[in-house]
Amino acid sequence: MTTLVTKAPTRDQGPMRVLKSPATARILFPIVVLAIWYIVYFTIDSRIFPSPQRVLVFMWEEVTLTSGVRYSSVAENLYVQFAISLVRLTIGFVAAMIVGTIVGLAMGISKAADAFFHDWVMGVLAMPALVFALFLGLALGHGHLAPIIAVFAAGAPFVIINVREGVRNTPKELFDMARSFDVPQNKITRHVLIPSLMPFFFAAIRYAYAIGWKGLVITEVFASDRGMGWTIKFWYDANRAHGVIGYALFFIIFALALEKLVFDPLSARAFKWRPKIDAVQMVEGDFGAAPSESFLQQEGQVQEQVSIESTEG
Amino acid sequence: MASATQEKPPAVRSAEEERLLALRRRDTRSKWFWRIAGYVVFLAVWSLISRIVGENLIPSPARIIETFPQLIETGRFFTSFAATLTRIGIGFGLSFLIGISLGIFTQSRWLDAFFKDAVTISLVSPSLIWALTGLVIWGFEPQGWIFAIVLTTFALVTVNVAEGIRALPKDLIDMSRAFGVSNGRRQREIVFPFLAPFIFTALRFGFSVGWKVTVLTEVFSSNEGIGFEMRVASQLFRMDELFTWALSFFVFALFLEKAVLQRYERRFFRWRAEVGT
Repeated sequence: MTTLVTKAPTRDQGPMRVLKSPATARILFPIVVLAIWYIVYFTIDSRIFPSPQRVLVFMWEEVTLTSGVRYSSVAENLYVQFAISLVRLTIGFVAAMIVGTIVGLAMGISKAADAFFHDWVMGVLAMPALVFALFLGLALGHGHLAPIIAVFAAGAPFVIINVREGVRNTPKELFDMARSFDVPQNKITRHVLIPSLMPFFFAAIRYAYAIGWKGLVITEVFASDRGMGWTIKFWYDANRAHGVIGYALFFIIFALALEKLVFDPLSARAFKWRPKIDAVQMVEGDFGAAPSESFLQQEGQVQEQVSIESTEG
Repeated sequence: MASATQEKPPAVRSAEEERLLALRRRDTRSKWFWRIAGYVVFLAVWSLISRIVGENLIPSPARIIETFPQLIETGRFFTSFAATLTRIGIGFGLSFLIGISLGIFTQSRWLDAFFKDAVTISLVSPSLIWALTGLVIWGFEPQGWIFAIVLTTFALVTVNVAEGIRALPKDLIDMSRAFGVSNGRRQREIVFPFLAPFIFTALRFGFSVGWKVTVLTEVFSSNEGIGFEMRVASQLFRMDELFTWALSFFVFALFLEKAVLQRYERRFFRWRAEVGT
């Protein structure tokens, strides 16, 4: 009995409790990264490895447009490069959504279309962006067309697979019921088809955008003379490590902002009507299995896994 | 006697079964017809385009098949494959181990929260920034490309392993706790066997991204390997060689991923019917 009492979970008091809370761990992470950076900075035998403050100063100069004086060889500033990349990304993305939705619907509805396109869609899906980048750069030159096509080629297969999966997962019983109760077609489309397609469509948008962005920057390195990918390559060619790391941080900030400020609220809104599945499965207690939003891409990851898995089955 | 009656039905099929079988056969036949039609149409369009714009700009499939034995004759083919595979083995092998460890760490809330942002950042950021950052810091040293491969792929492994951790049977853990089983033994005898199939999925997903980033790092920082050969071919404007290098490794990687890894993955999953299907 006494052993049980001593082993009973006790809440830590004061500083220990603060130290043990997950929030502290989260704040601690960037501090540890910074510490490692300093350690590397003071031990590495390299003349160009920058200190964190050097990178921060560089980023600040880029944001406030004061670096142009010192590095006049950069043709365009940060904002213009970003805008160019975003316009390319958006055009390629919209094209991928349109074509992908049409082909995906066809593949979901008709078995013949599915057999016709399947292997080629999977092939393009698995093709590295690098191959498109090298090829398009030579074939089309350093214009806008090569990056746009690269975004399209990277994004379209994701849209196709997800839309196809969505069509296949529409609840057949609901359609049958709606038909037997003489519900008009436009009402069926609005209340049954679109809501059941929604999660898949959403996963398609999210992934096509993320993959398109990754493909775009690689293509801009090899097949463009402006844009974000080209800019980070510029700093690499100039052998300015602070420029490369600074722009890498810009990329990370941009990607995180996109996830947190655009996709997360959007998915919360799109799925408001649906009960949270994770909430039921969540494991509570001091044995902390990862809470539901632990990895923000998890839902999408599973989605992707499901769609890719089932295409092979 | 009972066995005789059981064996009989397959011999004499009912009309219904016959009809279903015929239907299925027709289904398979039409599926294969359309599949082959797909290959014919796409290859024909590809050949046509290459005929129109010129073989030097877009080599036709026939040209690529002709180039393939030429590449093997140069003798660089197998050394390049070996070089790339070594890179994948070192870089992705390390990343895989790190990814699994971080996935297992998610059992602790504190460690989960600590590594959360690292995993998020790795998932959302393009491999290019790690490749260039590693390169500009370490040059052609191995640390540079290992850095790039690890930071691009570890999160994919972690996410899949963490998925397995989330599905851990809580009652087993609770019971082992109640009986005072040590943490190390619990990890070894409950968590790890349970995770095995998830780890295999993680391996396959990680590999599918890992080989791409490895080839990318070779473009920048190597003097052998598939990526290097692709860069040379593109700089010499030899489109046929570029395509042949890219496609041959692409086919090889797809084969590893789909045929080898996926098959073993099914075997791993077999004991858990509800996940495998």
